[in-house]
Amino acid sequence: MAEKRITIRATRYDPEKDKAPRLQSYDIPFTDDAMVVLDALNYIKAHVDGSLSYRWSCRMGICGSCGMTVNGTPKLTCAAFLRDYWPRSVTVMPLSNFPIVRDLVVDMEDFMHKLKSIKPWIIRKQELPLGAGEHRQTMDQIDEFRQFSQCINCMLCYAACPVYGLDDKFLGPAAIALARRYNLDSRDQGVKERLPMIADPEGIWECSFVGECSVVCPKGVDPAKAIQQTKLDTTMRFVLPYGNRE
Amino acid sequence: MNAEVETGRPAATRTYRRPMSAGWWTTKRHYFWYMVREFTALPLALWLLWLLYEIQRAGRGASGYYPPSSTPFVVFSAICLLFALYHSFTFLSLAGVILHFKVLDKPVPSRLIVLSQFGGWLVASVVIGAVLIGFGR
Repeated sequence: MAEKRITIRATRYDPEKDKAPRLQSYDIPFTDDAMVVLDALNYIKAHVDGSLSYRWSCRMGICGSCGMTVNGTPKLTCAAFLRDYWPRSVTVMPLSNFPIVRDLVVDMEDFMHKLKSIKPWIIRKQELPLGAGEHRQTMDQIDEFRQFSQCINCMLCYAACPVYGLDDKFLGPAAIALARRYNLDSRDQGVKERLPMIADPEGIWECSFVGECSVVCPKGVDPAKAIQQTKLDTTMRFVLPYGNRE
Repeated sequence: MNAEVETGRPAATRTYRRPMSAGWWTTKRHYFWYMVREFTALPLALWLLWLLYEIQRAGRGASGYYPPSSTPFVVFSAICLLFALYHSFTFLSLAGVILHFKVLDKPVPSRLIVLSQFGGWLVASVVIGAVLIGFGR
């Protein structure tokens, strides 16, 4: 019986030689139904073309490193099974909306800057000494923000967001979802410190609720929900008497 | 946004920014229906502007009220009605995502919020319809 094979078309871009990215085809064995797109890329790098560049690390949907565009949809390549595409070819491109550094590697600098700008850590008005004990939370208090804390910063939501694609000044889905995660945390007192970034015209108000960010999220986070709810909350803070009371 | 190779940097760190095509919204069904949702506001706004003009004209008395009944206007109104229904449907469906509040310290489920929105829509339609029919007699 003939060996099952699959065609992988991967973006190649060498900034020292190429003016623009191009697609290169690789015909590789599809030996195991459990093979994912990342396995195919690893096979190409190990056996066919060692110059292919891409990011990956954990291979189990936790690190968020291996996000790429697979047949037009942003996906973690470690969770995109070849069996779902075969016998069609699989086209692997870098994440959309980000500058390409080389092959399938994108420049993450803009995202990292935005992530830091929303201060994704617990802010206290006055830090308590360690001896004062831990900040305790009830399960209900954890449930308030649990969903938004699942974000792994894979940037798939940015690649799926046409608003970010059209205007990269937009703060973006993951950063706003993480800001909401901390704003909803009962231990946090940093809402006012995050507001200038979040309530900026290029923050929540830039979002027109396309919703594709929530569709592509591999961890079930709903950034679109976080953004719309933050719009409502910031409006209430502005409209209601004592809305800004801490 | 134009495709461009960012220059002024050493070749090894030069990046390529891909262009976003004008037809991006045709590449996915989700994007397409988002554009339809946003577009429905335009004919609705035009029809409402016309309604404001009608009301202003009707302010002059019965002689000022003569709604257009030409076939093109009826067709336009029917299309606007379809757009209005679709716009309302998406708006009320998304309300379940946006609204979040608690009753007796428990969060109200999104589905209940959406159902109550549609229930309110139905009741409002029936009341307004009854009023219009009642005054029309």
